[in-house]
Amino acid sequence: MKQKNVEVLAPAGSFESLQAAIQGGADAVYFGIEQLNMRSRSANFKLKDLPEIMKRCRKHDIKGYLTLNTIMYDHDLPLIQEICDAALKNKVDAVIASDIAAIQLARGVGLSVHCSTQLNISNIEAVRFFAQYADVIVLARELTLQQIHFICAGIEKEKIKGPAGKSVEIEVFCHGALCVAISGKCYMSLATYNASANRGACLQNCRRSYRVIDEETGDELVLDNNYVMSPKDLCTIGMIDKLINAGVGVLKIEGRGKSAEYVLATTKAYCEAVESVDDGTYTPAKIEEWKTQLKTVFNRGFWENGYYLGKSLGEWSNAYGSQATQEKVIVGTVRNYYPQKKVAEIFLQAGNVKTEDMMLIIGPTTGVVKCQATKMIVHKGIKDKVITLPVPAKVRKNDQVYVVKERHETNPLPR
Amino acid sequence: MKLIHYRDNCIGCNSCVQHAPHYWAISPIDGKADLLGSIQKKDVFILKVDESEKEIHSRVVRDCPMRIIKLSQ
Repeated sequence: MKQKNVEVLAPAGSFESLQAAIQGGADAVYFGIEQLNMRSRSANFKLKDLPEIMKRCRKHDIKGYLTLNTIMYDHDLPLIQEICDAALKNKVDAVIASDIAAIQLARGVGLSVHCSTQLNISNIEAVRFFAQYADVIVLARELTLQQIHFICAGIEKEKIKGPAGKSVEIEVFCHGALCVAISGKCYMSLATYNASANRGACLQNCRRSYRVIDEETGDELVLDNNYVMSPKDLCTIGMIDKLINAGVGVLKIEGRGKSAEYVLATTKAYCEAVESVDDGTYTPAKIEEWKTQLKTVFNRGFWENGYYLGKSLGEWSNAYGSQATQEKVIVGTVRNYYPQKKVAEIFLQAGNVKTEDMMLIIGPTTGVVKCQATKMIVHKGIKDKVITLPVPAKVRKNDQVYVVKERHETNPLPR
Repeated sequence: MKLIHYRDNCIGCNSCVQHAPHYWAISPIDGKADLLGSIQKKDVFILKVDESEKEIHSRVVRDCPMRIIKLSQ
């Protein structure tokens, strides 16, 4: 199959992450507005933020997709309509939906629709059905490369087109969290805490360690790993060429609930990987370097290639939470930025900085700026602890300042 | 006794309405729960309630998936 331009789609759960996705080179971003999306527990954007989000997307020539992909109830219908109307007005490029109500209402106002992975679309016939409504289909996360290839070849052969008149595009997840349920359709958090994963409120209790006890005898089975329901994270950086050759048009990075530096690191790595596949410089050495970079940000350990190269379910996480090799510790905030000298003045109200430290400055307009503290000047004699240091890009007042530290321990269990 | 609702983070799951329909309703405007008859103080909604219905309100508090409903003396 001939190669085509592949889109790297990055998560934007906040303005910081949106900016980080842009810095990382994303071709498109996806974001949630209000509560009707699969990360309703995370800090979401509000309807009033939509003009600013799309303004930034337009400025950087990237596409913006709005997630509207929870299960919907009758009382949600007015809000779906309001969100769709606002999406149309602000020229959102597409709505990512799973509930037929959201698909119907979005199409009703003339919006382009992408079918969410929540629909578990797993075969060409389902693609044909949903292509009546959607221009992009996000496949179930559990398909193999062969199955994906079969579907993509089928679309080309049978000329299956979306409402926009173009061949329907196939999107798959390339990086980020997987869960024990098929494509996120899970009842566990609802059954235990009344917090429905399908309303975006998953409490992730599957991520904890569990013991298996025989109720009759009280005997406990000895497991080599008690994290029996927490898969490691998907990482396909070493098989991007295969996904592209299978005919995939969009590579999605999971993580609207994750930090801006996660978005920057993952987006950058996958954009570089797609580019190098394109120009024939996709080498094992580069793959190793990208993996090292990906390990520095949130991960539960990597299940490389996920389900794509086979169905074996062997890769379970062995700790709660992140196994990132680095972590960030807050030290202060930016107090001023001097554009001519490209110097930031930082108020250290929460910690100290040493000259060898690597620092992160994160803000809603700044995104993520990395810098070394080597040339910092400590201002003595002032009541507050203030430093100034040269920074490679513009930062802004009230941006948060962090020191990056090597991380050796796994997280303690949650209470 | 007071019911306190931190409404901003409501996801409109309808659980409170199911437990206590006389006290809660989903807003037709934004799909979030409204604490009926409550007084708004900034982003928080407060309603004085009677001790005799503590059990119903406790169930509402227990089952709110976002933990944004509190019951205080």
